[in-house]
Amino acid sequence: MIEPAVAVNNLTKIFPIPFRRTKLVAVRDLSLEVAPGQVYGLLGPNGSGKSTTLKIILGLVSPTAGRTKIFGRDSREVGSREAVGFLPENPYFYKYLTGAETLRFYGKLCGLGGRELKTRTAEMLQLVGLQDARDRRLGGYSKGMLQRIGLAQALIQEPKLVVLDEPTAGVDPAGSREIRDLILDLKGRGITVLLSSHLLAQVQEICDRVGILAHGILVREGKVQDLLSIENQTELILEDATPETLAQIAALLDKSQTRLIGQRHPQTTLERLFLEATARLPEKE
Amino acid sequence: MIRSALVLFFLALFGVLRLPIESRLSEQHRSAYFHQAQLELGLREQVGQLGFLAALSGFRSLVADVAFIQAHVAWERTEWGRVFLLFREATTLQPRSVMFWDMAAWHMAWNASVAAMNDSSQPNEYLRRKAQKEYFALGRDFLERGIKNNPDRPELYESLGRLYKDKLGDHAAAARCYERAAALPGAPEYDKRFAAYELSFAPGHEQEAYTALRQLYDLGEHERLPTLLSRLKYLEAALNIPLHERISPSEK
Amino acid sequence: MSRSGHRPFSLSRIGALSGNTFTELVRLRVFYFLLIFALLLIGNSLFMARLSFQQEFQVLKDVSLGAMSIFTSILAIVATAQLLPRDVEDRTIYTILAKPVPRYEYLIGKLGGVLLLLAFSVLAMTALFFAVLFLREHMLIAATMRETTGMRPEQIQEAVERLKASAFNAGLVPGIVIIFLKASLLAALTLFISTFATSNIFTVVVMVFIYFIGHLQSTAREYWLQEHGGGVLVKIFVAFVALIFPDLQLFNLVDDIVAGTAIPMALFAKTAVLGIVYTSVYIFFAWVSFHGKEL
Repeated sequence: MIEPAVAVNNLTKIFPIPFRRTKLVAVRDLSLEVAPGQVYGLLGPNGSGKSTTLKIILGLVSPTAGRTKIFGRDSREVGSREAVGFLPENPYFYKYLTGAETLRFYGKLCGLGGRELKTRTAEMLQLVGLQDARDRRLGGYSKGMLQRIGLAQALIQEPKLVVLDEPTAGVDPAGSREIRDLILDLKGRGITVLLSSHLLAQVQEICDRVGILAHGILVREGKVQDLLSIENQTELILEDATPETLAQIAALLDKSQTRLIGQRHPQTTLERLFLEATARLPEKE
Repeated sequence: MIRSALVLFFLALFGVLRLPIESRLSEQHRSAYFHQAQLELGLREQVGQLGFLAALSGFRSLVADVAFIQAHVAWERTEWGRVFLLFREATTLQPRSVMFWDMAAWHMAWNASVAAMNDSSQPNEYLRRKAQKEYFALGRDFLERGIKNNPDRPELYESLGRLYKDKLGDHAAAARCYERAAALPGAPEYDKRFAAYELSFAPGHEQEAYTALRQLYDLGEHERLPTLLSRLKYLEAALNIPLHERISPSEK
Repeated sequence: MSRSGHRPFSLSRIGALSGNTFTELVRLRVFYFLLIFALLLIGNSLFMARLSFQQEFQVLKDVSLGAMSIFTSILAIVATAQLLPRDVEDRTIYTILAKPVPRYEYLIGKLGGVLLLLAFSVLAMTALFFAVLFLREHMLIAATMRETTGMRPEQIQEAVERLKASAFNAGLVPGIVIIFLKASLLAALTLFISTFATSNIFTVVVMVFIYFIGHLQSTAREYWLQEHGGGVLVKIFVAFVALIFPDLQLFNLVDDIVAGTAIPMALFAKTAVLGIVYTSVYIFFAWVSFHGKEL
């Protein structure tokens, strides 16, 4: 039995509202598991309890009931975060530090030092494409750059689990694409990724499994493919089909139980169109 | 809610634990002459709002300095009432400054008193003398309070001695002051001599004065200053000291 | 990459947090303005009105030490008050606590950065203060030598000795150390208040309040212990002040040091230890308060 990367068991979190009798149930009896090496998406609208769940997993908030574990260690232990990297939503970092200084700071917090720290810092800056801005203060970074330095600090100690809270929120399509590519790259290296998002279309391509939260309750959970496939429908995509061929197919289908529901030209997505169109313009950063 | 109550409780517990330690430390501070300025409501009346606030914030020394400088300006304008009030403020806020007490007494007993005596706007001589005496008393009061706050410093005893000698004409009291000064560490060597001189001027203390002066004389050459010699000779005559015990007549 | 296992207390982590806090604070423009102001004040006393040399040195010392005292107190409160709220608002705190950093190390690191800042400021101001004092002392000695050319050597020596005694007294350095410890006490207390305060302003206002009451605490304590008259309500109020508030009066020694009062080593040591105890207790309280705080 392989230890799951993240295990959430009957997690409940209730926030008392000051000066009022009622309480806010943010998460209600949630259970899920993330296997090592997976990309797991925690989806749901704003206020569904995604962020709270992530914070509990990271030990930033304590559960009212239930437990969460990272690689078998309870989240309330500080040591459980040895091999974890976290990128919060819309992060700000210390404005007066440069990019390199920021990474060195987080590296030291993880116990890195000396030459190893120097090497890792350079590697991470390279990975997120910020080598040119390494000596510029974070106060002068754009939002996309802040997001990237955030990713770099999350990865500074080569974690086995990376937790991303809304990684593509507010990022332009090109940046989004880069982040998604990075996530796939991490997966390729065997790193587990747990992310939360409410931008469903963007996330669809990269997650292996998803859990959908609504009002703190897990309403759907499973492999993306399984959840999304409309069981009783099949899609055929034909190239250079003549009207005669199409008529033959239609006649064939008439004789069987299968019903032809629709027939049209498949469409590219607006995102692909945008990326193709803007790719030809010179990159400015 | 519970957390706040717990926090307050633990703060109070900490307070209880440190209470005896701080009480004792405060006491030790006061024995070493710190924190002499008493923070009480009376202070507020004496030093005004700014002074009180400064005392509360721990900058009373600075405010005392300002009061002192203002007193200097008031003196130049011969506003004696203001001089008195400002010096009272300065000495209340900074009771460990010997200079403040000394200057306060000087302004009262030497300057204001003379101004009162020569006050051309007051034709009645009796009233002028009365005012002069009041200023002497104010000066003496400053010095006495200064001594209470600084019992380890000879300067104020010396000034009080001078005041008794020059202004109040009480040589016996002056002598006592110089004696006290001489007994303190750091006192200049002339304090002993001055004590003896003053005794020699005080009627009824001739024998005592003679003993003191003779003791000093016997200490050696450095004590045989002209004044000492002349007073010693005067006392020898007044007390009819036998000739063989007298100092050599050739000494002048 | 596996490391040797999580160390529960790491000086290097705390060092990273302190250094980071210090760097962040030092690069704030506000800090520079405040420091320059304090330095100007001290340097300006070089030109203050001259009455007599004793008076001049007294004023110079009072202004410099007063500037040091007020500057470090303000800095301690203002710099510390915004540390936690800013980290929470910017969500930076999540990135730090998501690393294997225990909460108490986070707090100690933050306070450490402020203490570094205070130490740096005190050193800078002391250096300037001593330089000014030294300069004036030398100028006045030169003037004295000129004025006493006809007098006996012992008299000249005595005059110079008296001048030097007015300038530097032995109690100055212990007095400055106590100023630093008072500021660190205030910083630790501010950190504690900020763990449950609702805003930056709230923390600063509460601390200003505590600062003033803290100077009256000894009076309240004596009143309570000596059982003067007064109703039950007064007694409760006075007891409350005596127990809850720190005794800041114990740390105001420079006023008397400047007037020439010497400070015995034993007394200095006890007061210094008390300052350290206060700082430690307050940061402990800060940890207790912050430990279970929902972020």
